Amino acid sequence: MTSGPSCTNKRLVIMAQTRSARGGSSGGNGAGEARIGAGARVRGRIAGDGALTVEGRVEGDIALRGELTVAEGGEVRADTIEVETLVVSGTVDGELRVSGVVHATAGSRVRGNVTGGGTLALDDGAQFAGRIDAEFDLPAELMGSSGGTSGGRRGDRR
Amino acid sequence: MASTVIGAGITIDGEVTSDEDVVVQGTVRGKLTARDGVTVEHGAVVEADVNGGPLSVAGSITGNITSTDRVDLQPGARVIGNVKATRITIADGAQFKGNVDMDV
Repeated sequence: MTSGPSCTNKRLVIMAQTRSARGGSSGGNGAGEARIGAGARVRGRIAGDGALTVEGRVEGDIALRGELTVAEGGEVRADTIEVETLVVSGTVDGELRVSGVVHATAGSRVRGNVTGGGTLALDDGAQFAGRIDAEFDLPAELMGSSGGTSGGRRGDRR
Repeated sequence: MASTVIGAGITIDGEVTSDEDVVVQGTVRGKLTARDGVTVEHGAVVEADVNGGPLSVAGSITGNITSTDRVDLQPGARVIGNVKATRITIADGAQFKGNVDMDV
């Protein structure tokens, strides 16, 4: 439980991974653009296909087959946010079930556990509080004597 | 370019409030309030009471409409509900069932 990359209630700053959150949006572009403007507020559930940009406030769950972008000044508070890709420049609070990339840019605030098998990229200056469930390959030098010659074995950390 | 766009693939169950204009291409159930214009495009489904400024409807609205300005029902629009507005037009080809209150 306490081993692994768990970092509850701590301020965590990690340099961004080389993996880009942009360009990885799978499908959904045909459904057109959706946007909650800076002066808008939604209380309730948002579901559907396609990309959504939140510049205003959303209080409620989001389930989206596509990319969710929370722009600077945007705020999402939910129990569950289930999307393919999440790019945060504003504030997000809720459990993040993301199959693709969660990208928290500089100045963003993210609070919640990251599940769903995706990857997380935190830019320098991003604030994050929560647990990360991630699968990754351990480097060979961390595998100890049991590792042997292979380039690292699948590590499932929780 | 509208400030808030509910895209064609998007469904919102709940309350949408905006200080600016709102364009609906998808589905909104609940309540829709805007301080500025509301556009319900062809193919959009609104099952909600709508309050706003100038309202242009080419899609479907089920619910009462209150506008501080005008309401234009375009060809292909389908509105079931009461409309309260200072000015209203119903185009040939628009379907409308409800009362009109023009505050005379």
